[in-house]
Amino acid sequence: MKNEKKAIVAAGLVIGVISALLVFFGNPVNMGFCIACFLRDTAGALGFHSAPVVQYIRPEIIGLVLGACIMAMVSGEFKARGGSAPVTRFILAVFAMIGCLMFLGCPFRMILRLAGGDGNAIFGFVGFALGIFAGVFFLKRGYTLKRSYKMPALEGQLFPVLQIVFLILLVAAPAFIHFSTEGPGSLHASVWIALAAGLIVGGLAQKTRLCMVGGIRDAVLFREWKLLMGFVAIFASALAMNLILGAVTGTPFFNPGFAGQPVAHTDGLWNALGMFLAGFGCVLLGGCPLRQLVLSGEGNTDSAVTVIGLMVGAAVAHNFGLASSGEGPTSNGKIAVIIGIVVVTVIAFMNSRKKSD
Amino acid sequence: MTEYIATFYSHYGAVCFKKNCEKLGIGTKIMPVPRNLSSSCGTCVRFWMEQKLSEVSLELNEELEQIVQVDGGSYLEIYRSEE
Repeated sequence: MKNEKKAIVAAGLVIGVISALLVFFGNPVNMGFCIACFLRDTAGALGFHSAPVVQYIRPEIIGLVLGACIMAMVSGEFKARGGSAPVTRFILAVFAMIGCLMFLGCPFRMILRLAGGDGNAIFGFVGFALGIFAGVFFLKRGYTLKRSYKMPALEGQLFPVLQIVFLILLVAAPAFIHFSTEGPGSLHASVWIALAAGLIVGGLAQKTRLCMVGGIRDAVLFREWKLLMGFVAIFASALAMNLILGAVTGTPFFNPGFAGQPVAHTDGLWNALGMFLAGFGCVLLGGCPLRQLVLSGEGNTDSAVTVIGLMVGAAVAHNFGLASSGEGPTSNGKIAVIIGIVVVTVIAFMNSRKKSD
Repeated sequence: MTEYIATFYSHYGAVCFKKNCEKLGIGTKIMPVPRNLSSSCGTCVRFWMEQKLSEVSLELNEELEQIVQVDGGSYLEIYRSEE
């Protein structure tokens, strides 16, 4: 047990350092990793949406899935499974992504934004924690999407193979793949550095089961703090690295405050509500977006469907004008988040065994 | 006293199993699945009893994945659900 805790903290420290270094190597500020943003960028690169500033096949995503896949195969933990309410998971994922893009980041980026001094992420964190409490309320009332079943090995291998196809498309850069020439999508570390970072973090996250949602969920349900300590470690090491990089390069990597934060807005209520929706949805999905990528690498096809749902959610968010920008949230986005909270609540209620008690 | 761990496909399955154990007077603790037992991040029930597992009328619900006997630092598989 103690070794498990040490492994999680050590992994968190390494991941925090890698996250800060990715910004140094070219990623947008406070966006060493952001699963929501990177899936959105990849969806844009494939032409699923046409927001020109957020289109790039992110090698970090490819690396995360393949890193988890390799680690799972080496340790004999790769198991093709699926069949646990895939359509429900898809819909939950679409709305979880809409929540993330209201806030402008996934739970992972929320921690990195805090480590970069972005005070707006505090509101996101409060909303995220409340969303997890809402999900735990339904878990205690018997919420379940029912069990998964063994699948043919090929079924579990397809999603990791798809990542290799994405890597080929990124490197070959055919005309039908979109590349942002300005905005966050144009800011990125080199392909091989980003891929290596993804592989390392994917492997570590598979080994330690790192999950932001699981961390708070386990703390609330079982008073078990192990998983949460991983993210505390990410925050601490990313913060330390930001301060060190700032001192060494003369460019501030830690900018405390609320206004003018990179790829962020200052509307506290909607930052909180966006992450409330993301946290609520992710508890019902059984893990944060990072965890879903890792599970999809382990052969879990329900998680692969979830990741596809996250990408579709990102495309919907940009096609329908739901995603926030540095200017703030949009009216469409606010309506979508409210609809999302209602839909997720209905899904939670309908899948709770005690609903008729 | 023999110690066992039951893992589940859902949190709800673990809660039902725990209640069933408590009805039979079996000591239980609900907790996250130990990492060295599974790469899943679900809920498990750790339970202790004098009798053999086969001597107790435990209800094996459809959400039950496996039951292992804890033997020092290792696990001996006692039951696994049909895939």
